[in-house]
Amino acid sequence: MSAVPVPAPATRAWAVAGLLGAAALAALPFFANPYLVATGLTLLMWLALTQSWCLLSKLTGYVSLGHVVFYGLGAYLVVVTWQSWPLPLAIAAAGALAALFAALIGLPVLRVRGPYFVILTFGIAELVKYSILAAEAASGTASRILFGAPDLIVIYFAMFALAAAATLLLVVVGRSRFGHGLRSLRENEEAAETLGVPVVRYKLLAFVLSAAIPGMVGAVMALRSTYFVVGQVFDPMISVTAIAMALLGGGDDTRGPILGTLFLFIVSEVLWIRAPLAYMLILGAVLAGFVLVAPGGILGLLDSRRARGASGA
Amino acid sequence: MSSIVDTLLSGQLLFAALVTGSLYALVALGLNLVYGTLRMLNVAHGDVVMLGAYGAYWAFSVGGISPIVAAPAVAALGALAGLAVHRGLVRRLFATAGAGSTRLEGNSLLLFFGLSIILQNAAALAFTPNARGLAYWTEVYHLGNVAMTGNRIAALVIAGATCIAVAALLGRSLLGLSMRAVIEKREAATIVGIDVDRVQAISFALGFATAALAGALVSMLEQISPFTGFPFTIAAFIVIILGGLGNLFAGLGAALLLGALETYGVALTSANMRSVLLYGAFVAALLLFPKGLFARRARAA
Repeated sequence: MSAVPVPAPATRAWAVAGLLGAAALAALPFFANPYLVATGLTLLMWLALTQSWCLLSKLTGYVSLGHVVFYGLGAYLVVVTWQSWPLPLAIAAAGALAALFAALIGLPVLRVRGPYFVILTFGIAELVKYSILAAEAASGTASRILFGAPDLIVIYFAMFALAAAATLLLVVVGRSRFGHGLRSLRENEEAAETLGVPVVRYKLLAFVLSAAIPGMVGAVMALRSTYFVVGQVFDPMISVTAIAMALLGGGDDTRGPILGTLFLFIVSEVLWIRAPLAYMLILGAVLAGFVLVAPGGILGLLDSRRARGASGA
Repeated sequence: MSSIVDTLLSGQLLFAALVTGSLYALVALGLNLVYGTLRMLNVAHGDVVMLGAYGAYWAFSVGGISPIVAAPAVAALGALAGLAVHRGLVRRLFATAGAGSTRLEGNSLLLFFGLSIILQNAAALAFTPNARGLAYWTEVYHLGNVAMTGNRIAALVIAGATCIAVAALLGRSLLGLSMRAVIEKREAATIVGIDVDRVQAISFALGFATAALAGALVSMLEQISPFTGFPFTIAAFIVIILGGLGNLFAGLGAALLLGALETYGVALTSANMRSVLLYGAFVAALLLFPKGLFARRARAA
């Protein structure tokens, strides 16, 4: 009779699947070859970035098209302090730098709403990229070679920790009073403020929290390549890919990013090396297509199927 | 030191600033129409410029046709593409998201971003990602101590004339009047019997046509690649934010200002600073006018 889907067993199934996936990823380096470990590392990187992006953009509706700026700043800090700072300190400092940058620009930037916020964040990321490029050109450093980076296994587990932290952070925030406040301001900022939600403080906090982990992710990923180029760690396609993954997944909890990341990751693993341009075409089509056909993402499709199934055909 | 001052005061930089500014004005004009009548930020707008540039390039290098002769045909193709995008994508987006909904603006942005990625990479697949250029009408003319190539003079004249013609058309005709009515208040325009859908379709056609025309002019002036378009999108955004929505003459002034900022800024610093200046102006303009220059009234349901 009822068209309402039954949530309880489904939620438990999601949790079990998530824990099994996490266990598999944790065990991966002990039996897989280095190529597979490197692939898993990329998957974890996207997961950490997408979950962090969702903390700001899915919960508040402020769609950031410039999250790569935090990633790039973190990577840049590690490279600049290479072999003068101990690595764990540099990685922690990368997270702090990204959070600090978000805190500094947050107040004026979060006054800008809707599509203007989207293009503003994009512009800021490009401005930071070109400023650093101009400074590097003026000082005569075009690229750097890093010697003595840690072992792949160490990098892998650092990224595993970051992906787990980003996921847990979104779970905790999403269920908290803070998270409900963010959702309320997403629906109607003025109404939320009238009801006593500290809108400005909440937005700023979400922005800072969503910046810290991408900063550390950038720092860890900088260790993977021995050859460092500024343009690469500030590539806008990093932001776009994270958004595409989140949109593909749908919803505003941790399940969407996991589904979307897995889906697009598999597509890219199949296509990226063989046909990079075709991969970019598919990425663009995924963005445009999901907006037109399935604005609710994979989760939206699953839910509507479940709802149809429950209504009994 | 004095040589820098001489360069700054010479007419040479002023001419360069005018050429850049008039191209920005032409590109921004089309973006302004589309954003004004639909409230959608078309981030793929610069890619239409890029495609127009390729159209003129191929007409020249395969058929030997002058870019100035090819420009009207390229603009006509642009108009058709604009109609196709309006029919195929925008109407559909209105259908799924619902006109006037808050999600619409964000969703349309992602849609156009996807379109932009598709256009750039399709162009890279079809034409290779390498930059290419054509040499047409490079004869140098002198006016006082200012040296000008024929192609730059032509670009300045055509872009300037088109901007003024479109602005005059919108200022005087019934179509222009209904377009401005839709820009100012879409719901009220519907009530007084304006066919909003038709006005939006015409805006898309006109916007894409002027962008493609600008592309044909760009092909004469600089090297083009599949990724040439995006800086034009950014420049056009700055112009709209500074000049105001639907205000085409103020947009012209803002475009010339941006052209001057870029030309003189690069002359004073270095070519590395071009993108820094462009994005710096962009971020500053958005922070100073957080909702665009026209603070939008909350639209009643």
